[in-house]
Amino acid sequence: MNRLASILRGPGGALLYKEFLEAWRDRRALWMAICFSLMFPVMLAAGSVFMLKKHTEEDTRLALLGAAHAPLLEDRLRGGSLKVDALDGGDPAALLAGDYDIVLSVQDGFAEGYRNFEAPPLYLYIDSSSSAAVRAQRHLQERLGVFRQLVVQQRVIARGVAPQLLAPWHLEVRDVSTPSRRGAMLLAMVPGLLILTLFVASLATSVDTSAGERERLSLETLLLQPLPAWQVILAKTLAVASMGWAGALLALVALVSLMPLMPLAELGIQQATTASGVLTMGLLLLPLALLVAVVQILLALRSRSFKDAQTQLSILQVAPVVLLMMLDMSRAELGGFLWQLVPLVGQQQWLKALLVGETVPLMTLLAGSGATLLLVAVAIRFGATALQRESLLSAA
Amino acid sequence: MIEVDAISKEFAGRPVLRDLDFRVPDGRITALLGANGAGKTSCLRIIAGLLRPDAGTVRVGGIDVARDPLGVRRQLGVVGDREGLYERLTVEEYLTLFARIQGITGTALRQSLDDVRRELELEPLWKRRTRGFSQGERMKVSLARALVHRPQHLILDEPTRGLDVLAARLLRRTLLRLRDAGTTILFSSHVMSEVLELSDTVLVMAAGRVVGSGAPQALMREAGCSNLEDTFVALAYGERRVQGGGVPA
Repeated sequence: MNRLASILRGPGGALLYKEFLEAWRDRRALWMAICFSLMFPVMLAAGSVFMLKKHTEEDTRLALLGAAHAPLLEDRLRGGSLKVDALDGGDPAALLAGDYDIVLSVQDGFAEGYRNFEAPPLYLYIDSSSSAAVRAQRHLQERLGVFRQLVVQQRVIARGVAPQLLAPWHLEVRDVSTPSRRGAMLLAMVPGLLILTLFVASLATSVDTSAGERERLSLETLLLQPLPAWQVILAKTLAVASMGWAGALLALVALVSLMPLMPLAELGIQQATTASGVLTMGLLLLPLALLVAVVQILLALRSRSFKDAQTQLSILQVAPVVLLMMLDMSRAELGGFLWQLVPLVGQQQWLKALLVGETVPLMTLLAGSGATLLLVAVAIRFGATALQRESLLSAA
Repeated sequence: MIEVDAISKEFAGRPVLRDLDFRVPDGRITALLGANGAGKTSCLRIIAGLLRPDAGTVRVGGIDVARDPLGVRRQLGVVGDREGLYERLTVEEYLTLFARIQGITGTALRQSLDDVRRELELEPLWKRRTRGFSQGERMKVSLARALVHRPQHLILDEPTRGLDVLAARLLRRTLLRLRDAGTTILFSSHVMSEVLELSDTVLVMAAGRVVGSGAPQALMREAGCSNLEDTFVALAYGERRVQGGGVPA
């Protein structure tokens, strides 16, 4: 601790101050960090509204014209997510342009034709230009199919034929997803997006402080000073990490602030994130922010130019999200202790748990964060060696 | 004193410096004169500890650069061939940074900043960020950075390149004043008039070697030339080695 205080008071502290000034005065980098950090919670909020709308739209509104001619049909169709309004009459096109997804018309002679086994027609009106038409049509046909099967069964039983002869099997599709689970899918994206924010928010700063400084030859000026190389890398890492971490915190706060505006209850999500949970999540992201920063700096230092560094880091920022998605899809048991020590995976699992109000054992958090910080230290050591490469200098 | 002993350096198999030997005496201005590609910048970078020689040793003020690079950097001020400023810092912030990195704090820091501000006429630029500075302004700030810790040794790589008349004059005046105050100065240049005006000793480099060294007048006399340019051409391209002025080569 005393050593840290002495470094901060001495040349290392001066360098750290310079790196922070440079990072936070870079308006382009700052705007990029702010915009992305705010964009993803806003998109998530909009996504939840869209999901609710889609969920609500799963109700099919049916206008049944001439219901008096087929009262049993009306009874059989009614229920579940099919909302049936029995109307005396109306123009199908006008009804479809209004509140209804689909219109079913029963003609005057339907009951008589039904009794005489004449297969009387039912007229189905749809507006195929509507995005809801196909779903509504399928919905109604499924319901009618079940009813038709029932009628056929009754008719063949009445004639002494076993109904099984006509139906070798019977398939029923049952969607077991619940609104809560669909909502959980939405929240499951948050850890990945928070981690992505760390990468995106610190990208411009990391390129500027490494490849940018090398191109402007100010890195050479710095290397001419009586400073150990590890202090140079550490100061740059802290400044870059501060940008990424601030971006992730901003995203987290924006997300929590937007939660009251999101239709979480309607989606079956119970908002369980507490203030202490948000604080914990923020703290958990700090070691990862440091790791992201130092890896970005190392990659940028290895690149041939500022533009090359931008390209490489742009690819890098997608990699963790893809990796986490692949791990999710692989159905690996990520809850195991060893997985918790793996940077990115551990943080993702903890964030997932904290977002739904679950707790994570303190020892797990400490061990996982410690493993990440250990990697940061190794990377700083590696970076200090990289700074002594002659190829870093423009004319070498 | 800066002592360069038998240093050699290759880049990708191409020799840049070959058994380079010279001394830069204390309290004198020494010019490194050479054509493009002669190895001047590589030589200065090795002295500053930015590059490592493949063979040979360099000592600055008696300290071996390879053994104690940080110790050397504490007593060395370097102005590179480009300025390397931080465009989002003001001149005051920039110079404060480098003074603090050199371990100067408190009233000594304030005094150092005041000195370089006055000596290099930086007052109008003091609170401005360095983005958009002219070449002359950039060079002044860069020189101030190299001087803010009052180094015993100063190295400059083509310091007047791109400077206007006034800025070049201020730079020359500053170097002469520093020399008179006892600073050891080594600079590289293409400009003969500047070398003639400033330097006590000239080292002529060609193909990675010192091909002539000595006081300018002595070099001209020994080369049988009436001006420094002819002397340089004769030494660098005329296959003649001239020893003069008492500086070992």
